[in-house]
Amino acid sequence: MSTRGLTAVVLAAGEGTRLRPLTSNRPKPMLPAATKPILEHVFDQLIDSGITDITVVVGYGRNRVQAHFGPTYRNVPLTYVTQEKQLGTGHALLAAESSVDGPFLVLYGDQLVGSRLIDDVSNTHDASDDAVATLGLVQRSDVAGYGGVILDDETGRVSDLVEDPTDDRNYRLNAGVYIVEQDIFDAIRAAKPRTGEHSFVDGISELLKSGRDVRGVVSDGVWVDATYPWDLLDVSFELFEEGIVDGERSSAISESATIHDSAVIREPVVIDDDCEIGPGAVVGPSVCLGANVTVGSGAVVERSVIDADTRIGQNGTVIGCVTGVGVTVGPGTTIPGGPGDVRVGDRVFEDEDLGALLADRVHDQGGNTYVPGAIVGSDTVVEAGATVRGTVSEGTEVRS
Amino acid sequence: MCGIIGYTGGRSHAPDDGDVLDVLMTGLSGLEYRGYDSAGVALADSSLSVHKRQGEVSALEDALPDGSVGGRAGIGHTRWSTHGPPSDANAHPHTDCTGTVAVVHNGIIENYQVLREELETAGHTFESETDTEVIPHLIEDALEAGADRESAFRRAVNQLEGSYAVAAVFCESETVYAARHESPLVLGIGEDGHYLASDVPAFIEYTDRVIYLDDGEFATVSPSGVVVTDDEGTVVETSIETIEWDPEDAGKSGYDHYMLKEIYEQPQAIRKCLRERVNEMEGTITVDDLADLESSGPVQFVACGTSYHAALYGAQLLRERGIPAQCFLASEYDVDSIPVSEETLVVGVTQSGETADTMSALRGANRVGATTVALTNVVGSSAARECDHAMYIRAGPEIGVAATKTFASQQVALALFSSVISGECSQAFVEALRDLPDQVQSVLDNSTAREVAQTYEDADAYFFIGRGYNAPVALEGALKMKEITYKHAEGFAAGELKHGPLALVTDRTPVFAMVSDDGTAAKTLGNVKEVEARDAPVVAVTDSRETVDQYADFVLEVPETHPVLMPILANIQLQLVSYWIANRLGRSIDKPRNLAKSVTVE
Repeated sequence: MSTRGLTAVVLAAGEGTRLRPLTSNRPKPMLPAATKPILEHVFDQLIDSGITDITVVVGYGRNRVQAHFGPTYRNVPLTYVTQEKQLGTGHALLAAESSVDGPFLVLYGDQLVGSRLIDDVSNTHDASDDAVATLGLVQRSDVAGYGGVILDDETGRVSDLVEDPTDDRNYRLNAGVYIVEQDIFDAIRAAKPRTGEHSFVDGISELLKSGRDVRGVVSDGVWVDATYPWDLLDVSFELFEEGIVDGERSSAISESATIHDSAVIREPVVIDDDCEIGPGAVVGPSVCLGANVTVGSGAVVERSVIDADTRIGQNGTVIGCVTGVGVTVGPGTTIPGGPGDVRVGDRVFEDEDLGALLADRVHDQGGNTYVPGAIVGSDTVVEAGATVRGTVSEGTEVRS
Repeated sequence: MCGIIGYTGGRSHAPDDGDVLDVLMTGLSGLEYRGYDSAGVALADSSLSVHKRQGEVSALEDALPDGSVGGRAGIGHTRWSTHGPPSDANAHPHTDCTGTVAVVHNGIIENYQVLREELETAGHTFESETDTEVIPHLIEDALEAGADRESAFRRAVNQLEGSYAVAAVFCESETVYAARHESPLVLGIGEDGHYLASDVPAFIEYTDRVIYLDDGEFATVSPSGVVVTDDEGTVVETSIETIEWDPEDAGKSGYDHYMLKEIYEQPQAIRKCLRERVNEMEGTITVDDLADLESSGPVQFVACGTSYHAALYGAQLLRERGIPAQCFLASEYDVDSIPVSEETLVVGVTQSGETADTMSALRGANRVGATTVALTNVVGSSAARECDHAMYIRAGPEIGVAATKTFASQQVALALFSSVISGECSQAFVEALRDLPDQVQSVLDNSTAREVAQTYEDADAYFFIGRGYNAPVALEGALKMKEITYKHAEGFAAGELKHGPLALVTDRTPVFAMVSDDGTAAKTLGNVKEVEARDAPVVAVTDSRETVDQYADFVLEVPETHPVLMPILANIQLQLVSYWIANRLGRSIDKPRNLAKSVTVE
């Protein structure tokens, strides 16, 4: 296997501000894809492709990463490197400089890539004697918002890298999977920082600029990314479709979960450890319940990613919903789902498929109704009998 | 209290140069939590090579000669002084006069003085002040009398009184001989060799298949296999068990200290303690570990240190539920002077399951026919094996000497235990238990303990007060502060302050007050005002900020929960304050001076 002996450096130090308010207590790599952190899926794919040495750059919310994984994952040792201040992806990689030698693999802890993509990059890099960097690319009709890469299909060489391209050249999407030689560190240092941040991609551009051989490979391996909170739904459902997460009843339900005989489970679902599902509840299709989630009697949960320790009260209806940890959805509360307008910062996203987003430890006292697209910040209390719409900031009280 | 390790190659694997030493050194690192004032190894080949040093295992590593130390079998030891101060000479292994046999030992040999005098009279020369050194000389005598190695070892061990786990290697032999009596010893069966150690982490890197030795048993560990015999030499049938926990728990995973790592592991530890024991739909608490336990009599807890504070909490819970319950320091528990009958349920709370004081109390209780329960973290530990019942707290291995996650898991386990014994269990309590892991996570996410530490790191002393369920936490908060910061700290039931300790309170002694928003709040606030009037800084740990805000210089908040569970959350704030003060003071947090993790001497 061509990844043999390679160290993988996984960048997991950034908060992922566009996923606020879900990131108020943890970095984006620790947000759930199905019931496991995105980063755990990344580790799985790395290990499946033969990697036996992983360095993780941590920073924002690093306790969450370290406490979750500990010193090894699936018997592969994890080396933690701390990026004290989050000054860009290039800066993050520099923090790992002393833990790698020779060529190494770089990827982001908050984007889920399949092991095939990793193998393709690795094989392509191996096949070239001169390459100082090889990029994994995927074919997408729209690369807006991502990195666009111009690849010469005959030579396999990359000629240009453009962040968020707006012209109509034939861009491939930069999947964020790289093998780089040690030259990358000097290139990152040489590239001019932008607004005080050192970007890893600018380091690659710097290599191009100095005439070095940068290669690319278009792969049809899995690549999924969550940019906005509601993307966590699609990411999770894609894991079902790709078979990365098995949503069939036998293996999808933890042995320590308790499900009442009269509850109905509609596949695909994943139900993690210690969950309890009450009489007459209906869970699924396309539902991910994190550890220790409670679904009360008669409650209905569909097309939702419900994170650990959340409690859905009896006769609640939760459709198209993303929750953080420790959320309470009170009895009789209705989140009917369906498209709605979502506000993130100054932007409004129209007709997004989001019932509601409830961040960590939102406490809904019951009997409430959520207008589709509602976003509620962490630790907010929603009093009984309210109608919740738009964006509610964290730590507030919503009165009826 | 000490840790021992032994290794010999397997049938298919003749160890290369350095292999044996590698295994021994890895094993000693894994055992350092048992003591670390000196360490040593002995390797057997055509002659014995013995290397030992005062200090931590790293000091021994530095003292090893350049190039590898070869050998076909070996033993190693990490020591915590009982007889004789830490020194190179007192470090194990110890050898006989001829350099034929080397011995490591954990425990105390009570008749060593008599044996030593006899041996000295017979012409043996001793090089250390340890009790252990009598063993190699006894073996030497037996060898000279014509015994083979195994019977010489057996003959020597049979003369010992006291507690021991002992292992020996001989020159020109690739067999390790071992025996145990009231000190832990476990064998490891690997592909590339066979192991023995005081505890599994010593060899878990190499194998997860183990055999636990029983008291009075001997083991002959050779490349061809492991033979266990009883004290008369009859072969005993043994069963191989597989260790299910992960060796990864031995690394620090990016934290500066095991203690901080273990503090952050508490949500997960509590999840495991609760797993398949609480059922919200049914409103029930069941503990399979205690399925056969029937008890209607009084309950007596015996424990030491942090476990004693957990036991105080357990006794309170039972009394509240109408069951007569008392809590004793294990070292003060004497079945001849305390009423114990066959009706009594005696519960030993011991993280390691090896704590000598607690074991001694439990053995006393067993002797008079009481029903005994071990509440412990270690499967297969002496407490678990010798008690009638064992309830596991499932916290996973704890390496930091200052107990953190195991205390939280003990508290949770005792909350479950009290429901099982009393048969009392409300729906609200079950729900609160299931909410607990996330509430612990929320304390960890939001704690401002680090600021408190920064403000008060220079204080003269720290006082901790709490009432009701929070009184044991006040004691535990002070113990943690003492252990890792080396600063003076005392915990009191809040009402006791005015009966004496108040004389110590000044503007340089911060007072940590646990104020729970229940029936005790008004009285505890009265005590807070007493210290405030003496200008002492007040740090309130509370589930109700508005109640204390006007009296406190700092408020460390915890989420609202069932009153019984509040102390579990409050204690996490206190752990963090102690940790950050010790960190700022540059203390040896994971291995505080003079302390060891598992105290196997009385």
